[in-house]
Amino acid sequence: MQNNKYFVFLVLLVLTTIKVYSQAEDITSPPEREKPYALLLFVSGGLGYFPSNQGAPDYLQPKISRINAVSTARIMWKPDHRVKVGLETGYVTFYSYKLTGESGKQGKVSLNAVPILLEFSVSVKKHFNLFAGPGVYILNTNLDYEGKTISKKVSTGWMGAAAYTWPLSKKVSIGTEAKWLYASETTRGVFGVQLQMVYKFLKW
Amino acid sequence: MIKDLNIKVWIALIAMCTFLSCKKNYVAPVPDTTWQIFNTSTAKKLVTNTRNKLEGIYTITEGSEVFGVNAALSWSYTITEADTLYHLSMFCEKQVVYMICEGKRLDSSILLNGYWRNMLNTETGIVRFNITSNSGAKELLDSTTSPLQGLTLSGSFGIGEAEPTNPVSLQYQRPLYKGSPLEIIAHRGGGRTADLLPASENSAEIIKLASRFGATGIEIDVRLTSDGVPVLYHDGTLNERLIQKNGLIGPIENYSYRQLTDLVRLIKGEKIPTLRQALDVVLYQTNLKFVWLDTKYDGNMTLQREILEEYQQKAIARGRDLSINIGIPDEMVLKNFKKLNDFRSIPSICELSPQDVTETNAAIWAPRWTLGLQPEETARMQTAGRKVFVWTLDVPENINKYFNEGNFNGILSNYPSSVAYFYYAKQ
Repeated sequence: MQNNKYFVFLVLLVLTTIKVYSQAEDITSPPEREKPYALLLFVSGGLGYFPSNQGAPDYLQPKISRINAVSTARIMWKPDHRVKVGLETGYVTFYSYKLTGESGKQGKVSLNAVPILLEFSVSVKKHFNLFAGPGVYILNTNLDYEGKTISKKVSTGWMGAAAYTWPLSKKVSIGTEAKWLYASETTRGVFGVQLQMVYKFLKW
Repeated sequence: MIKDLNIKVWIALIAMCTFLSCKKNYVAPVPDTTWQIFNTSTAKKLVTNTRNKLEGIYTITEGSEVFGVNAALSWSYTITEADTLYHLSMFCEKQVVYMICEGKRLDSSILLNGYWRNMLNTETGIVRFNITSNSGAKELLDSTTSPLQGLTLSGSFGIGEAEPTNPVSLQYQRPLYKGSPLEIIAHRGGGRTADLLPASENSAEIIKLASRFGATGIEIDVRLTSDGVPVLYHDGTLNERLIQKNGLIGPIENYSYRQLTDLVRLIKGEKIPTLRQALDVVLYQTNLKFVWLDTKYDGNMTLQREILEEYQQKAIARGRDLSINIGIPDEMVLKNFKKLNDFRSIPSICELSPQDVTETNAAIWAPRWTLGLQPEETARMQTAGRKVFVWTLDVPENINKYFNEGNFNGILSNYPSSVAYFYYAKQ
């Protein structure tokens, strides 16, 4: 109960602080552009690290692969405002491990996900953007032990990311992004570092 | 300047969300009850006569701030390969608090040693009683005397693992109520994992504990593995509420029995039991009288019926008064149940309408408690030779009301100790 009070207090404090700063003119309104609206495509690929020891219990004598591929794509709508909104999806392997079952037989488990996330983004420095948003993860377990089994479940979750991009032209930028992808069903998230290409494919 | 501050705010927000997203892990482990004099070789088991004389309704004269004003003391037993273990459960008047003790005789004294637990929070601790010859043990150990008016059990209790130093005293008032019988059905085999019990819900281990919690019967949840083995599991999917996290997610029906038994452990480390393993425990290790098989799957129920009939026959062969019933919780199961040959002859518990109860010839009608006391419909069912169980009653005030104002033959609860208190304390 005490923790909840602190949490509510801190959330209110942060929201109040954000509100105060977000009312500043140079925060809410970007420099005037000839065509104020645009759609941007972000394509990213890299590696993710699953930092938790949970998820592969000792009784299975696990050999965990914590570093796995993380590939994502997002489309962001860039309005005449600093806050952008969009959708992100992709394919993430949270972790996988080799196991030894009770009978001594070997097997393998991997936990993967297709995230579908609503995202919000702000540019806090030139070329430097923050992204965050809630959504769902379509999780799937691939089990290879005494036969192959694929089992799916939808989990709520969220992501947060920071990206730095260098413009190559008016339409194309490249950059790097660090992100935290979290599905509540897995309890722990995966930290990813990706290379990124941004393509401004529509302006109006 | 403002932009710089904005970055700091965002970073602080993300850091704070990450930090605060860590969840608190609640535990209520059974304390270490090792008591040197209780474990000496000269301490002997109590005989039946002494055990029986300890049963009754007691007033709690010391320790009532933790245990309430009254308690009902009742023995139960479980059978192991080597022995029969007896436990004296003290079902307290205060909301869902109980004590569970073993008893021994040491010379001319009686020792009771165990633990207490408040189910509504994580409070627990050691509890011990030492009944000396002069304070009642002499009469309790004498096979020629009757239950003792004015018998006082004096002891002490602790908090957590601390040595018991707080006084607790119970004074005998009257015998347990044993009028109209009531089935006290423990939910999920004995209790929910969320209530931080010593064993996981729907495990073989929790079934062994059910009678110590006051239950006379259990409700267990039956699902089928991908290769058709009936197992006990409540939720629709494997999840960290019920199992140790291992990367396996999704419906239990996606996995074979071999995969589940080799790779999955329930929260307290147990394996997911098969229905047969669970019924073996009921039949051979407990004195439970009633089993409610809550059907959680959509599929052919023939195997479940065959197992029910097999164990009903085994119970008869052992001279056990054991009733096993297939639960019909919804229309889907009702449809599958009706596909069974001669389904009207199968012992069942129907949670649906009175018309469905009649159509299936269910032995028991089980309306949810939110539908109220339903005196007229209950009377009609009982006149037709059926029993009426109400589910799931957990709030002590509701348990008291439904027991005393209703006319139910059974109550399903996550807190059977609370039902047991109100039942035994009835006058």
